[in-house]
Amino acid sequence: MKKFLLAVILSLGTVALADSHGGTIKIGINLELSGRFAAIGQQTLMGIQAAHAQRPEVAGMKVELVVCDNETSREGSVACARRFVDEGVIGVLGAISTSMSIPAAEILQDAGIIMISTSSTNPQTTQIGDYIFRMAYTDDFQGKLAAAYVVNDLGAKKIAVFRQVDDDYSFGLAGFFDETAKKLGAQTVVQDFTAGTVDFTAQLNNIRAFKPDVIYYSGFCAEGAPFMKQLREQGFQQAVIGADAIDDKQCPEGAGKAFDGVVFTGFATPDLIPDPEAKKRAEAFKEFFFQTFKDAKPGDFNGFVLAGADAYNVLVEAIARAGSTDRKKVRDALASLENFPGVSGDVTYKGTDGTPKDRTIGFFKYEVMSPDNWKKTALFGKSTAEVE
Amino acid sequence: MEARVSTMRVPITTRGTLFVVLAVFFLLVGWRIQALPDYTLARVVQDFLNALTLGSLYALIALGYTMVYGIIRLINFAHGEIFMLGAYFAFFAMVLTPLPLALALLTTLLLGGTALLVTRSLFNLESPKKTAGLAFPLLVGIFVLLGFRQLGWIEALFLSMIATAVSGVLLELVAYRPLRGAPRESMLITAIAASFFLQNMGQLVFGPYVKGFNPETVLNRPLSFRIGPEEVYFTGVLLVVPLITGLLLLLLNFFVTRTRLGKAMRATAQDAEVAQMMGVNVHQVIALTFFIGSTLAAAAGVMYAIRFGQIHPLMGLLPGIKAFAAAVIGGIGSLPGAVLGGLLLGFIEIYVVSLFPTLSAYKDVFAFVLLILILLFRPSGLIGEDLTEKV
Repeated sequence: MKKFLLAVILSLGTVALADSHGGTIKIGINLELSGRFAAIGQQTLMGIQAAHAQRPEVAGMKVELVVCDNETSREGSVACARRFVDEGVIGVLGAISTSMSIPAAEILQDAGIIMISTSSTNPQTTQIGDYIFRMAYTDDFQGKLAAAYVVNDLGAKKIAVFRQVDDDYSFGLAGFFDETAKKLGAQTVVQDFTAGTVDFTAQLNNIRAFKPDVIYYSGFCAEGAPFMKQLREQGFQQAVIGADAIDDKQCPEGAGKAFDGVVFTGFATPDLIPDPEAKKRAEAFKEFFFQTFKDAKPGDFNGFVLAGADAYNVLVEAIARAGSTDRKKVRDALASLENFPGVSGDVTYKGTDGTPKDRTIGFFKYEVMSPDNWKKTALFGKSTAEVE
Repeated sequence: MEARVSTMRVPITTRGTLFVVLAVFFLLVGWRIQALPDYTLARVVQDFLNALTLGSLYALIALGYTMVYGIIRLINFAHGEIFMLGAYFAFFAMVLTPLPLALALLTTLLLGGTALLVTRSLFNLESPKKTAGLAFPLLVGIFVLLGFRQLGWIEALFLSMIATAVSGVLLELVAYRPLRGAPRESMLITAIAASFFLQNMGQLVFGPYVKGFNPETVLNRPLSFRIGPEEVYFTGVLLVVPLITGLLLLLLNFFVTRTRLGKAMRATAQDAEVAQMMGVNVHQVIALTFFIGSTLAAAAGVMYAIRFGQIHPLMGLLPGIKAFAAAVIGGIGSLPGAVLGGLLLGFIEIYVVSLFPTLSAYKDVFAFVLLILILLFRPSGLIGEDLTEKV
């Protein structure tokens, strides 16, 4: 009997040993794969998958991606986070947007699971706790840069701001923009709408008497496409500036020619990355991306792909540096990451709240000939380190 | 109980309520307008036209809603999804045509065949001669439309109405008919299930993305006129949709009050069992109701999609709920009530944003508060019939 027990214990031991060497390690992916932000979600997922294909193993273990679709809903995001807690993943990548990231972050922080939001830009997200990181810049930079561009470069004196009041990202960003624009001496008027709004005629009629020089739109594409269409129909010819939420093919494909000429700030693409070394890495990754996804269209590669890829890269790097799957150790390794050579530029988490230190924000312009024939032109990039 | 479908005549007491509600509404609007700092006549006219455009779209959706409720007292929550299907069918009809001839033939046989079966059983076309008389133009017509050139929006609308009507009848057959005679709650829950099913199936089949739908049509042609120094803008929707809504209202009213099938419909609405005893084929009448209701939903879906330039699988959700609210506000079961309710909802949405810009986010709240008030104080709606149950 004793011998039998010993044999059992021994064999269990070997199984456990085999599990840590040459076993698998799970990374959860919480993304908006259906619903309003589906297009951005799919692009981010492609970025993560491409990075996974480049580095499928870490510390002698296979990395397994566990994908969960939060359906672009807060409830869905919470459900995904709970599922990942039950499955005992080492870390979670996503969500994309602030509204889905914050509810998931609260659960994952309590469970002590690392979360890297790929593109949430609201400052609050990473302040939830020490296990929460992000790959993007924050909206105070994005809002400030956009306002400086609109007031100083375009010379706007009067700006109409459109914000989606029931979205943390859109509401916060519009606030930062508005504040800076006023500081720089412009007059602003703010108009509100909610998710699912398709009729903007009343809001547009409200700003008619104000005669704005430029219109700032901090929302997403589901509302942005009808917004631009009605803006032009209602006789407004002004320049329109948006943010990274409209770096989404659903905008030009949804609104067609009405989206022509819209400028937006967003996650920098390879051609805007200032550091030549980083640029080379980004270009190489772009090539790999199109080899991996043969059906991908040129418009499918954007900043969200890079953000997804680097979220995966830094997490795997932190696991490698920690040399174990202990979440606390991996978190510490991630938090002390310095100048990690990512495909979106160098990533430094050391000394920050989980927001990378120096990110490049790109300015882009849509050129839309038709819904199927459009492109984005990169205008210029600005480093967040340049903004005080 | 009175017949639950359409009466154009409005009782005197109802007129009183209606007058009071509308008077309060317009007084409020007038009072806010004169308090606005920079109001001009052009701005007032612009708001009015915007409200009319939105309201007539809601009215069109609400018509189908109220139609189905009037006959079988089922709040068909899947109406918004039927509306979505209508928009998608028109989208595919415009984008995919001309189909390769073999595919066009297959689609024609499939769609035309089902449509034929459905119409044959709905309109009592027993004799082979009549069936053939319908089959020939229907099949040839669909084939010609699909096979040879890219469709314009009107042909696409026509095809979509056929396809959507067939889907509506099939939905009734599969989801609601087996529950005939079951408690009304069961039907209601089935309707919600059907709605979820269609939403998710839409995401699987059509993809979860928002698709642009911007055909060059009279509907989205930008138009404008001058009032003094200022320009007032609108689109073709404003001219077309109220016209279509009005026309459909008259047609439906005629159909329900003046034809044999309409009479059967009213009889079914009054008391399905007794109607059956009198020789009315109740199943047929209900299927017919779904046929007409779905046709209306398709028309509304196509107009709505073209107006806002996009389609997606969840597009029916919000308009569906709004149309439901509109139908209840107007008096569910009443055709003119649905139109009135839709218009009122459109006006509320536009004027809340226009007159109280800081409350823009709550525009839906205002609409639903009105719904609650109506349910509390006048459950039969503004011009609905008296809903006191027989004892």
